[in-house]
Amino acid sequence: MNKFLDRFFHLSTLSIALLTLLITGAIFGVLFEEAKPAIDAFGFEFITNSKWAPNLEKFGALPAIVGSIMSTSLAMGLAVPVAIGVAIFLSEIAPEKLKNPVGISIELLAAIPSVIYGMWGLFYFVPIIRDAFGGLGIGLLTAGIVLAVMILPFMAAVTRDAMNTTPDILKESAYALGGTKWDVVKDIVITYAKAGIIGAAILALGRAVGETMAVTFVMGNVHKIPSLITDPTTSIPVALANEFAEADEDLYFSSLFYLAMILFMMSFAVITFAKFAFLKRGRSAK
Amino acid sequence: MATIINIKEEKALETKKFEFTYAGAPEPSLKNISMPIAKNKVTALIGPSGCGKTTLLRSFNRMHDLYPGNNYGGEILFEGRNILTEKEDMIKLRTQIGMIFQKPTAFPMSIFNNVAYGLRLKGIKNKTELADRVEKALKDAAIWKETKARLKDDANGMSGGQQQRLCIARAIAVEPEVLLFDEPTSALDPISTQGIERLIIELKEKVSILIVTHNMQQAARVSDYTGFMYLGDLIELGKTEELFVTPAEKLTEEYITGKFG
Repeated sequence: MNKFLDRFFHLSTLSIALLTLLITGAIFGVLFEEAKPAIDAFGFEFITNSKWAPNLEKFGALPAIVGSIMSTSLAMGLAVPVAIGVAIFLSEIAPEKLKNPVGISIELLAAIPSVIYGMWGLFYFVPIIRDAFGGLGIGLLTAGIVLAVMILPFMAAVTRDAMNTTPDILKESAYALGGTKWDVVKDIVITYAKAGIIGAAILALGRAVGETMAVTFVMGNVHKIPSLITDPTTSIPVALANEFAEADEDLYFSSLFYLAMILFMMSFAVITFAKFAFLKRGRSAK
Repeated sequence: MATIINIKEEKALETKKFEFTYAGAPEPSLKNISMPIAKNKVTALIGPSGCGKTTLLRSFNRMHDLYPGNNYGGEILFEGRNILTEKEDMIKLRTQIGMIFQKPTAFPMSIFNNVAYGLRLKGIKNKTELADRVEKALKDAAIWKETKARLKDDANGMSGGQQQRLCIARAIAVEPEVLLFDEPTSALDPISTQGIERLIIELKEKVSILIVTHNMQQAARVSDYTGFMYLGDLIELGKTEELFVTPAEKLTEEYITGKFG
């Protein structure tokens, strides 16, 4: 009887686990199927072509890809140093009384739906950027900032958790050799938590690459590689969110699926990379 | 009343009416401890769990200052000054009074960088000087043979006993006057323990040693002086061979004969 239960348990969990693989495969299958006409029509040139003109049935994904990469890099550039700073403060510097309230408020910030970040960005940030830099206020810079603000709490919280795993005895050993707080943070805490910090950054990156709502409000959806950082541009999720309603032509429709497939593969690559960073940590921790 | 012998040797450290209270605790954990620690000798602290041995040990390099709200009272004399004052430079103090912990604490870096860590904190940058002093420290810690071919390897790949020697090498690399050992072999196997004990006896030529141990046999094997602590008091301090054979205090006798503990 026990043996039977064991076998049942084994099979049921196995099939659930396989189901997730199946779903991933099915999503990719649908994307590929729908994107097929566009893939046949444009091939690899889709990625290198920067002209997006639905009325002429010309579709090139380069501006959306570049926009995705640039807005994400901008967001990471702004968010990573701040998040690490916040995490260092919370795990090593803040007095006990502050640690919990600040920690909890950061976790709350991480839980705010992204559409709210988008609204806040549009009505609060856009005018500020417009006044400071001129132009429309909607564009790459605003998108990067809103994205940075959005991923920062999540990254700070995960980084703090990684830093908190540094054993006290290890930190004490460094203090016992005459280390200052700065020495201990820089040499022991950051070194010990390195894999976790990188993992947090990559997960945040994964979130930023695929983020739709927050950036749709503030990016502009113009299929053009920006010449200025304040220029409106687009990213893959923004194009998808904006254009399905008007995609009446088959090739237009299919090109959007092609874009979606590229996004899927970009996110997949980022998460696979993150997985490796975490695995490496598991091995060295023994 | 406590029985504290007068030591003939020069003193490396001395506590006078020392008291210690943990943050938020109503009562001091250590009370009125006056204890001399002889230079270039090994002094062991024994006593049941929770008697304050480790608390006392961690006072000598002011480790308690890492956590807010702890309070010292009385004096700890080192090199003619009381190190419990506000103006004490703790960074410098901790390079003069080193510490080895209960568990090996190899840093997440290479073997070489572990040993060079304290030297670099002291501002030594010259590569040949670093290499020389790392080699010397590893030799003094009797681990040079095992490590010389793999100085660039991650220190966490070593065995527990090797890591503990590495920690000793790291501590002696900065040439401290005193080394504090907090149950250094409690996480090690018997063979590694024997090696560490032998090392402690060799090291006293160069440094004064204070060791906390749960293991009375260990105290008897390595130390010249032994202090017995009970409930935050230093009950007795004597020469090791005398304390274990003819203890002056009844409590000491009961503890070493295993009546409690």
